[in-house]
Amino acid sequence: MATISLIDLMKSYGDIPAVKGVNLDVADGELIVLVGPSGCGKSTLLRMVAGLETVTSGSIEIGGRNVVKAEPAERDIAMVFQNYALYPHMTVRGNLEYGLKNRGTPREEINRRVREAADILEIGALLDRKPRQLSGGQRQRVAMGRAIVREPAAFLFDEPLSNLDAKLRVQMRVEIRKLQRRLKTTSLYVTHDQLEAMTLADRLVVMNSGLVEQIGTPTEVYDRPATLFVAGFIGSPPMNLIPVSSLSGNEVSAGLPSGTDIVGIRPDAFVLEQPAEPSLALEASVELLEPIGGESHLHVRLNSSGQSIVLSVPGRPEIAEVSDIVVHARLADLHPFSAQTGRRADNP
Amino acid sequence: MQTKRTIFPSKLLPYILLAPQLAVTLIFFIWPALQAVKSSFEREDPFGFRTTFIWFDNYRRIFADPNYLSSLGRTAIFAISVTLLSMAISLLLAVAVNRLLRSGKVYTTLLVWPYAVAPVVVGILWWFIFNPSIGLAPYILRGLGISWNHRIDGNQAMILIIIAAAWKQISYNFLFFVAGLQSVPQSLNEAAAIDGAGPFKRFWTIIFPLISPTTFFLLIININYAMFDTFGIVDATTSGGPAQATNILVYKVYTDGVLNLNIGSSAAQSVILMLIVIALTIVQFRFVERRVQY
Ligand SMILES: Nc1ncnc2c1ncn2[C@@H]1O[C@H](COP(=O)(O)OP(=O)(O)OP(=O)(O)O)[C@@H](O)[C@H]1O
Ligand SMILES: [Mg+2]
Repeated sequence: MATISLIDLMKSYGDIPAVKGVNLDVADGELIVLVGPSGCGKSTLLRMVAGLETVTSGSIEIGGRNVVKAEPAERDIAMVFQNYALYPHMTVRGNLEYGLKNRGTPREEINRRVREAADILEIGALLDRKPRQLSGGQRQRVAMGRAIVREPAAFLFDEPLSNLDAKLRVQMRVEIRKLQRRLKTTSLYVTHDQLEAMTLADRLVVMNSGLVEQIGTPTEVYDRPATLFVAGFIGSPPMNLIPVSSLSGNEVSAGLPSGTDIVGIRPDAFVLEQPAEPSLALEASVELLEPIGGESHLHVRLNSSGQSIVLSVPGRPEIAEVSDIVVHARLADLHPFSAQTGRRADNP
Repeated sequence: MQTKRTIFPSKLLPYILLAPQLAVTLIFFIWPALQAVKSSFEREDPFGFRTTFIWFDNYRRIFADPNYLSSLGRTAIFAISVTLLSMAISLLLAVAVNRLLRSGKVYTTLLVWPYAVAPVVVGILWWFIFNPSIGLAPYILRGLGISWNHRIDGNQAMILIIIAAAWKQISYNFLFFVAGLQSVPQSLNEAAAIDGAGPFKRFWTIIFPLISPTTFFLLIININYAMFDTFGIVDATTSGGPAQATNILVYKVYTDGVLNLNIGSSAAQSVILMLIVIALTIVQFRFVERRVQY
């Protein structure tokens, strides 16, 4: 049980900055998900917390103690790697026990913790197997087991599910969430999968090229993306970012905060019939209709600017491809952005 | 899985293409080996006029000969020392280079040079370094209060050929160890570090077990090398002396056969050596396939 604080944390490889000054306070028992595109510095950040990567400047506190100079072993953390990093020459039991033995944990205590972890993760029957005799999902469980037997102050996860197939990934995601709730261990979780990020996180940290773009609960981040980058990154299909200039014929500028030159509209904020509330209307031509089960994605091209946007509409509307339609969005659902600063225009 | 098959226009062509290689093998390896087996069952009179077939007499005599038995013992000491020394040093170097990571390229190339040097040259090199009258090493050792003269002291002579033979093999072992170490994922090392194991513990509990196939392979290769491939080194440094102290089996085959012209005994000795090689090779394949896997 511990808090984690990152203070002006920076990391450069030679001249190339990978993490450019990150501040983050993780509360005790909180699950923080670091999400961002490939190469944005998520793993680097996590590895600095683990002590596997040196810190260029700034500091890291775990449980109030500055650990920047501490060895990984002294930080009281456990890490789950993307490739699991199970010791291939040891049995599952050996893998679970290794960290405890190194710390001189008494035998009965080791046995108790291994039994407990095996029960929680349902790997009791696998204890005498070698990692190569396990399926991907089982390896994943063992990797989790190795982390929880240690009963560390914090868990660090670096894309732990990315080697699993889609179905298993969803299943393990739920299990990790339940497990973390149950153990209440402070966790940092890295992923580039935004669905994973949204469903797991107590709070999300959206990163882009070494910087934090926004920190907030998944709902906060989804409902009020702080920057154009977050707006485009979180949500699937992504938010449509439409220049104010192509909203011709709509009296919206008056209602928008000053400095707004781009409005963001979520695909599901569009409706095909004019709503009662104040709204804007856009003329467009339908390019493609993709039914994806309970809803459909409608790809249309705006008549005003030729920009392609995506709408997500419930059911399977009867709309012919290559037809002209008018789409509506409530003014309350618009996200105003300033192209110049790249940030929300309605933030204080 | 599909294997790629090449279709030759004529049935004869593959054989013709193989012929030169097969001929070389036959003429320079198989035929002499068979000759050795044949000679080992024969006795030749001192003038080479008459040979008599004497069954296992040569072998019986060899194993009754105290000289041969003590040479066998010395060979064991020599082979084990060379193997351990060169493997230990090359593992140390490989670990050091592996730490420097991928930038170790230049370093790697330099360390490989000894392997390209002919055994005789290695022998002469070390003969110079340890030459009691002009060598650098005896000079330094004298400063430390050790008087070095491997021409008189059998133990020192043994140490000399062990060093020379081990030195030559280090580069070869080094390459394999580096390759082995590079194949151990870095994340295992990191996981172990987080699991509270210090660098030494990590090495002995994680990395060393994972490179055990490489280690075992090298063990066999090095024993083979020390026993059969060190003739040139012995010949150039000590010539088996002083007083037989460095007369290891492979050198004894030569002295008995070529210098003392005891062809029958020499042939029998070389057949025994050959059997040892075969045995070691079989052990190697058996083991590498079975035990040393995880
Ligand atoms: N050892 C290194 N030497 C030099 N540059 C590095 C090193 N490790 C990472 N980088 C660089 O630092 C940046 C951040 O890398 P990092 O691995 O943290 O990305 P990431 O967000 O984890 O991406 P991904 O989602 O692909 O894993 C990248 O531009 C990468 O090229
Ligand atoms: Mg990464």
